[in-house]
Amino acid sequence: MALLKRVYDWIDLRIGAREIVKKELTGYLLPRNINEWYSLGSVLMVIFALQVLTGMLLMVYYVPDAEKAFRSVTFVMNELPYGWLIRLCHAVGSNMMVAVLILHMLSTLMMGSYKSPRELNWVSGFTLFALVQGISLTGYLLPWSQLSFWATTVATNSANAIPVVGPYLVEFLRGGKLVGPPTLGRFFAVHVAVLPVVIAAVIGAHLFLLKRTGISTPPFGSLETKKPWRPDSYSYQHHPGGIPFFPNYALQDLTSICVYFAIFLAVVFFLPNMLFTPDAFVPANAFKTPAHIKPEWYFLANYQTLKIFPSELLGLSIQAAAMTFLALLPFIDRSPERHPLKRPVFLACAIGGILLWIGLSVWGHFS
Amino acid sequence: MIRISAKLRASLFLASLGALLLAALAGPLTAGAAAPASAAATEQPETVCIQCHSALPDKLGAPVNLWRQSIHAENGISCNGCHGGDPKNADDAMNRSRGFLGAPKEADIPAFCGRCHPGVLKDYLASAHGRALGKGGPTCFTCHGNHQVLKASLDLINEKSCTRCHSFERAKTIRAAMQQTEGYIVGIDRRITGFQAIGVDTDRLGKGLFAVRNRFHTLFHDVDVARVRAESAQINTELAKLDRDLKVIEEARAKRKIAGGIAVAFMLLMAALVLLLKKTYD
Repeated sequence: MALLKRVYDWIDLRIGAREIVKKELTGYLLPRNINEWYSLGSVLMVIFALQVLTGMLLMVYYVPDAEKAFRSVTFVMNELPYGWLIRLCHAVGSNMMVAVLILHMLSTLMMGSYKSPRELNWVSGFTLFALVQGISLTGYLLPWSQLSFWATTVATNSANAIPVVGPYLVEFLRGGKLVGPPTLGRFFAVHVAVLPVVIAAVIGAHLFLLKRTGISTPPFGSLETKKPWRPDSYSYQHHPGGIPFFPNYALQDLTSICVYFAIFLAVVFFLPNMLFTPDAFVPANAFKTPAHIKPEWYFLANYQTLKIFPSELLGLSIQAAAMTFLALLPFIDRSPERHPLKRPVFLACAIGGILLWIGLSVWGHFS
Repeated sequence: MIRISAKLRASLFLASLGALLLAALAGPLTAGAAAPASAAATEQPETVCIQCHSALPDKLGAPVNLWRQSIHAENGISCNGCHGGDPKNADDAMNRSRGFLGAPKEADIPAFCGRCHPGVLKDYLASAHGRALGKGGPTCFTCHGNHQVLKASLDLINEKSCTRCHSFERAKTIRAAMQQTEGYIVGIDRRITGFQAIGVDTDRLGKGLFAVRNRFHTLFHDVDVARVRAESAQINTELAKLDRDLKVIEEARAKRKIAGGIAVAFMLLMAALVLLLKKTYD
């Protein structure tokens, strides 16, 4: 202990570590009524870090060449020591990241934390949601299996519905008329070199905004309900008399992370194949179209929306309108009230929207 | 004032983490949807032969329904695969210059089928059945059917079928000698297919089974009881090797599950401990 104290003193002398710890950890006060939902942001950062780590390890053996990609993934899964674990953590983690991100956004919606002056936090979070979907889509093609090949064919084909530029956009995405080796090359580059950097940068911006405005108070306490915090000029939301981030809320973060890992590892070890269809283990064949190729679960609602409208353009336009509405929600919903039960119109719309999304996803699966 | 209790929020939070699992469960829904892909991949567009003969009565229309239940239909082998002709053009569908062969005469049946099954043709011709061709002996159609061609299996050796020409005694002995091997092959095939569907590299095992199965199938047309017994015993030895390799994979996967159980339990224990520690600060 004495040695540790000496090391800490040595560092403190040089960078003022004690001051940083006091400001950012023990002296960083959070609202007393903060709840478990706030820890999902930390869970997401851990997931992202694990995705980066497992992704780097996979890159050591993965070959982004249409002739060798499938074989290299098979090698990782079957012959490389613990390769199966690394690959499954990466594949399951990508699905989990989308699921946790949806929960994080839902909690923000329900607690009204997107409202002024936190519009930019919401917009940056929404951007992250789109980017995570993008990185999942580009990663889906990389194993070069029948499933990934044809799912990418269907996904990229959707862009055809956009008037005038649609066909050019499809060709740009694929690097040719059809999904082929150039598609694999560009998807790989975007997946490993572009999107992770962009996501890390937007996470940085999201955290910067969080630090500048401070943590929002859950709308369930009496103080917040009576007097919502709504500054006229720039102001940091302090929480005098609140609980310190360290150790109090850091332990909540750690609890949530452990619970997440328990669920995540249960899927990795006991139900890994629920994320893979048998087509995921057959090499891509451009001349053999499997029936019933469906996108990942989080794209099923989009997929079904495109199917139920008579024209794909109409389906795409409705989706674009819904996404734009959601992205700009803080600028549309200007009421200061944040308690979900005191916003009946919002609550009805939110629950209706969630049920519609689930309904379309189930329909998309069975259609 | 409307309040949401801390307990309710905590329950909702835990429920949502559980929902993560459900969300991940949506994956297999997709998996289930894509499962029939391989069967559909072999589907062929309807040929003009089928279109025309489906509408014809009796003898001319019956083959279509029989064919639909055959192993040929299952594997995408349509009328033109055996009878020739142009399956896309009604005018040339029965044009001899486009390879149309029509129905073979009885003595030509083995050669007719042997164009695609040369190994089986050789085995058949060498057998007592083949040697009796043209002298009242059976052809391929006798046991396998013509349009409703059945998958080669030991079920084809049965009393009803064999006693049409001779007693069942010797056939019964041969069938009994091959029965165990057949069951062994089917079981190993099922395990390999199961592993393949979950990403295990079964390439080597699949090729090994393919070779053994082919060797086994050469016995199907053999009526020499002693040779069938000896060959079956050797084939069983080969199958035992494949069985051992599969058991190694099964054991490795069982060990993974034990490790996974420990990891999940550890994480839950950690969550409980950290939560208790947090409570001490509340």
